[in-house]
Amino acid sequence: MSDDPKPSFWRSLAELEGRPEFQELIEREFSAPVDEDALPGSPDRRRFMQLMGASFALGGLTVGCRWEKEEILPLTRRPEGMVPGESRAFASAMDLNGAGTGLLVTSVDGRPIKIEGNPKHPDSRGAAGIFHQASLLEMYDPDRATHLVRRASGDQRSDWTEFERWLAEHSEFAADGGAGLAVLAEPSSSSVRGSLETALRQRYPRMRWVNWSADYRDHELLGAKLAFGQSLRTLHRLDRAAVVLTLDADPFSPEWPAFLANIRQAADGRAPDDTGEMSRFYAVESAFSLAGGLADHRLPLASSRISAFAAALDALLSERLGAAAASHGPAQPTPRRDWLKDERVAKFLAQLADDLLAARGKSVVLVGRRQPPEVHALAHRLNALLDAPGKTLSYVAEPAVGADYRGSAVELAELTTAMNAGAVGALFVLGGNPLLDAPSDLGLSAAMSKVEHRVRLGLYDDETAAQCSWLLPRAHYLESWGDVRGWDGTIALQQPLILPLYQGRSDSELLALLLGEKPATGRELLRKYVSGLSDERAMRRAVHDGVLAGTAFALLTPTLASLPKLNLRDEGLAPDELELVLVTDSNLLDGRYANLSWLMELPDPMTKVTWANVACIAPKTAAALHIGEGERIELEVNGRTVTVPAIYSPGQAEGSLKLALGWGRERAGHVGGLAKSDVPPVGVNAYPLRTSKSLTVQNGLRVRPTGEKAVIASTQDLHAIDQRGREGRDSRLGMIVREATLGQFKTQPDFAEKAVHHPPLLQMWQSPVSYDGHKWGLSIDLGKCIGCNACMVACQAENNIPVVGKDNVVRGREMHWIRVDRYYKGSPEAPEVAFQPVSCQHCENAPCEQVCPVGATMHSSEGLNEMTYNRCIGTRYCSNNCPYKVRRFNFFNYHLDLKQPENQVKKMVFNPEVTVRSRGVMEKCTFCVQRIQKVKIKAKNARRALVDGEIVTACQQTCPAGAIVFGDLNDPKALVARNQKRPRSYVLLEELNDRPRVKYLARIRNPKPELA
Amino acid sequence: MTLLTAVNPYQGAPKGDNPYARITDNVARIAEAERPPVGWYIAFAISTSLLAMFFANIGYLVWNGIGVWGNNIPVAWAFGIVNFVFWVGIGHAGTLISAILYLLRQGWRTSINRFAEAMTIFAVMCAGVFPGIHIGRPWLPYWMLPIPNQMQMWPQFRSPLEWDIFAVGTYATVSLLFWYMGMMPDLATFRDRSRTPIRKFAYGLFAMGWRGSSRQWHRYEKAYLLLAALATPLVLSVHSVVSFDFATSQLPGWHTTIFPPYFVAGAIFGGFAMVTTLAVPSRQFFGLKRIISLDHIELMNKVILATGMMVGYAYGMEFFVAWYSGNEYEQFTFVNRAFGNYAWAYWTMIFCNVVTPQVFWMKRMRRNLWVTFAVGVLVNIGMWFERFVIIVTSLTRDFLPSSWGNFRPTIVDYMTLAGSFGLFFTLFLLFCRYLPMVAMAEVKLSLPNSHEH
Repeated sequence: MSDDPKPSFWRSLAELEGRPEFQELIEREFSAPVDEDALPGSPDRRRFMQLMGASFALGGLTVGCRWEKEEILPLTRRPEGMVPGESRAFASAMDLNGAGTGLLVTSVDGRPIKIEGNPKHPDSRGAAGIFHQASLLEMYDPDRATHLVRRASGDQRSDWTEFERWLAEHSEFAADGGAGLAVLAEPSSSSVRGSLETALRQRYPRMRWVNWSADYRDHELLGAKLAFGQSLRTLHRLDRAAVVLTLDADPFSPEWPAFLANIRQAADGRAPDDTGEMSRFYAVESAFSLAGGLADHRLPLASSRISAFAAALDALLSERLGAAAASHGPAQPTPRRDWLKDERVAKFLAQLADDLLAARGKSVVLVGRRQPPEVHALAHRLNALLDAPGKTLSYVAEPAVGADYRGSAVELAELTTAMNAGAVGALFVLGGNPLLDAPSDLGLSAAMSKVEHRVRLGLYDDETAAQCSWLLPRAHYLESWGDVRGWDGTIALQQPLILPLYQGRSDSELLALLLGEKPATGRELLRKYVSGLSDERAMRRAVHDGVLAGTAFALLTPTLASLPKLNLRDEGLAPDELELVLVTDSNLLDGRYANLSWLMELPDPMTKVTWANVACIAPKTAAALHIGEGERIELEVNGRTVTVPAIYSPGQAEGSLKLALGWGRERAGHVGGLAKSDVPPVGVNAYPLRTSKSLTVQNGLRVRPTGEKAVIASTQDLHAIDQRGREGRDSRLGMIVREATLGQFKTQPDFAEKAVHHPPLLQMWQSPVSYDGHKWGLSIDLGKCIGCNACMVACQAENNIPVVGKDNVVRGREMHWIRVDRYYKGSPEAPEVAFQPVSCQHCENAPCEQVCPVGATMHSSEGLNEMTYNRCIGTRYCSNNCPYKVRRFNFFNYHLDLKQPENQVKKMVFNPEVTVRSRGVMEKCTFCVQRIQKVKIKAKNARRALVDGEIVTACQQTCPAGAIVFGDLNDPKALVARNQKRPRSYVLLEELNDRPRVKYLARIRNPKPELA
Repeated sequence: MTLLTAVNPYQGAPKGDNPYARITDNVARIAEAERPPVGWYIAFAISTSLLAMFFANIGYLVWNGIGVWGNNIPVAWAFGIVNFVFWVGIGHAGTLISAILYLLRQGWRTSINRFAEAMTIFAVMCAGVFPGIHIGRPWLPYWMLPIPNQMQMWPQFRSPLEWDIFAVGTYATVSLLFWYMGMMPDLATFRDRSRTPIRKFAYGLFAMGWRGSSRQWHRYEKAYLLLAALATPLVLSVHSVVSFDFATSQLPGWHTTIFPPYFVAGAIFGGFAMVTTLAVPSRQFFGLKRIISLDHIELMNKVILATGMMVGYAYGMEFFVAWYSGNEYEQFTFVNRAFGNYAWAYWTMIFCNVVTPQVFWMKRMRRNLWVTFAVGVLVNIGMWFERFVIIVTSLTRDFLPSSWGNFRPTIVDYMTLAGSFGLFFTLFLLFCRYLPMVAMAEVKLSLPNSHEH
């Protein structure tokens, strides 16, 4: 009403005359109870209602039917309408550092509540990683940038109209071919953004465009250039590989763009039940990775030594192959290093070479991005020697990387120089967070201050936005149209699930604005720049499927250049020298997810530490440096220091310390740290240690113990375990996680059942329930599980599991219904690791049920151990009596924060089909009873029987390895029934006679007999 | 009757002194004094402060949630249940002295049974607080009671917690009745000696018209005998049932058949220790040295020595059975108890419960009040730690090492524990001040001249 100068009906003369007092009165009367400016990023009640209204509108509840207009096509068969409260899945896609994954997003009444993988997408096949799933929380994050801010003198609230006007007024930087214009963007696989970039480059030929991410793949691309003369992308086919060597690489971690496909393909080769054959993995790495966990042989080796190891392997392979190797040029000379002559290393190397050659054509070498380009180049040569191209790997062109590519770090440095020289008049920063993660010696911040106009399109008012003159809210991918290209090039369409919550726009929309394209909505841009979508029917089809078939990159057969003698980091690692390996974090990546509580509380796969980053150090190195467990240590590299807690990491290479980046942020938000609201940073910021000299492995590390002990919140081994405890743990490990080698498995397939001797398990009485109908059961394949934690996030999202915060994790009160236990086996120097997901075992003879005085946990006729929250009074006796300790208790009301007006938006993430528990009640895994019921109702309405595989639990659905299988044990053909009957199937703590419905498939390792 | 004469406090009393009058006077003047000794005020001030802290902490707990304690997963039970079992255990001596010793015609019990019973009642009251406040939703403990309701709810009788409700409830009721009924003749004495109308009315009300007629005495004796017979099995059953909380579960360290007798012996042990802890200062401050004589103290110390040995035997037997079972988890639990993270708690318990009572092999020590008091206090500490060791240490490390975790108490835990002593001592001090601390009628009954007619 304030825009209307002359109202037709008026309440007072003041209104009629439009006096300011009246405006003020109106504003006061209808304003939120709290000052909006005092709570940046928080929707007030009215805003919340608007959002909800918008959501309902999107859901098609209103006659206006925004949903029809925007044409978001559902995957189900009833596009003509939707039942309120009914959840529906829509295809979308997410880009993560230049590679996209197709997703299915479940939406209820217009609000997305769960993210799963798109079964049609070649990488995902239904699986989703932790970042994909947690990105949902990112969209509902109340700390997101909620409106445009113009930072001239003080912050001014602004809007897009004003920005567009400003843009039109300031065309001077576009002059002279855009010489004063620079774009610093987060890498993206979007072909729309790519096309707009090209168009922009044509319009402004002198414009500077730099893609930068802390996690970008410089070394890999430069290595390919060394080997092939062009930057190529390598697609691995681990399912075709019999022998896999990973050199400081973790193809299963989300930093590897095709990690979902890698996990699936690797896991498929790890179940020898039918074929009796399985793949063999070798890992040579400094810090334990997921691939190292899966590996049959793992050699801990400092990252600085990997290059010499690779060269030695090259020499060995070339020598064995003789003439066959000659076509690929001369081998690298064997490096002279004393440690290579060490018996363990030498034996490993020799047997590895044997194995790789024996499986020639079925073996492959992978190198991690922390290794220098030379090692990547060498790996291409190794793969060529092993006859891998076309078999276990293939090459495609790397899109958007020209022949003159020199690496993003170099380009960023050049841009900094240009900015320092005053050559840049306007800088557009699209996504990313360069002021956090740029090399610390670059002086990017100072350089940026010399740029007159700094425009920031970002999700948060973060470190970079703080120094920009314009903050434009970026639309979350769930709010905007777009496309992403998978690792193999397949295009997946990104359709919005909700209207932008905070007036955000996508990168492409901003670029279109710069180009002056009209109309420039995301959807129109998509149709314009992605071929094959001009036809409306095709567009609808594509949006429905989410994937454009046949859009994968063409496979190339490049010729390998004869490698020159590579500069293999001759400094290596002197015997007393220490190295620091800076890695992107397993949970926060480069820090962009630092405000997502699900990920903050997700334990690191290896250390099981939550709510902090810690320096991983080999126990032997720690002892030599007199560092205690959990002690804060000061790390000094290149004259820069940070102080961080250290923890003993079995399997960490001696002399090598690992520290994750992305922590210790001061402008992340109320979860990850927000200086202006006195929320202390979580963890320690390691970026200051990262200089242009080396972005990954830092040599010449100096460590100084401070003697101060840090409180570390880990979900396992929370407290130091004494000698007795270690003995007790180690002696029972073989009963808990049962394993055998392939040879042992072949001679005694039922080794797992025989691992524990116990008296016959008799029942005192006939079971009162016969389980005639369904009999739900779960099977977990320990051979396939790689410990990636995807199931934990899936469960958290599906079942509204609260986050308890660091203090409560320290007290041992984390709430995850499914946890992934990690056990080390063998010597602390070179242990084997075993993962074991544990959720409620749904015992038929459940100890928890018998001790509840109020009958709050009871057995269903289908064998589910059910928790009735309303009835629970919280005696916690059930937890005491649970031998698996899978029950979780609400020690506090963990949803109290939702009462704050600014946190209302967080409620939207809840799954309406699952009760949000209040304080004082017990909770635990339900086998996703809501999913069971939903499918059962559907089948009943259709008057048909349930089909095996139709009901999937959330953990099973997202597991990239396919390790978790749920189903009806009464159906002998069901996969779960077949799995549970396999000889290597066993029941955890069977001797207690609780008769769980969960059975584990024992892990089979495939060590080389000569190395075992 | 040798025993009786041996402990007769008035044996060889000076001629002309009427022991009946002296007993009455001795006991009644405590309640009739203008004001109690200064020590009483100091003790009462401390106790009520602790009591206030107790209520404040409970309020804080109810407002915020059980998380203000240090409990976690796996240690879902900690101080709350430790305190509960501790106080229930303390509550054993009273009824044991009143009922079992009565049935066994142990006349010496008469001088201590009244305040031992009072102690029982107050200890059970302290114990009763904890199950109510330790649950996650402390406003709903009544759901454990079999109250017909419209919520379609009924307790689940397979749960040992449900058995607890009945065992402790019955015990509290019978103990209260027993105590009150036994007190009636003495209340009547107080009434008759009252000088103010308020006192006369109050004591008169609770004396329920006692006139001391032979018919009343006859009925009284019969009822007392019946109640004693009823209470006797309860002494054994309450702590047996409390021990079922642990014995019927399958946690290593809990799942053991020795628990019922072991818990009962421990409860009597702890209960007697509490009686001596209270008796030694009380007889001093309130001038009851002749009624509660050194002979009584010595007899109680003998009981402490005997039950302490039983408890020690149970500790040893647990280890033996764990080893003999061949069960890896069971064996680990006991090794862990003695040498793991909580070894200090275990050895505190062993020192207090097994080592210290050994001084009572010496008569000199049994009759030394300082030693008696010190051992009483130590045994109480030891018995608290016994429950801590059983409950907390077992929970910290059960089957899967992945879920092992330690327990660290919070300040609220400590304050609640201290506060429960405030409740106990406040009630006890009020009892000392206003009620007959010694069963006058019964003591008189055990005088030699009562048996000379």
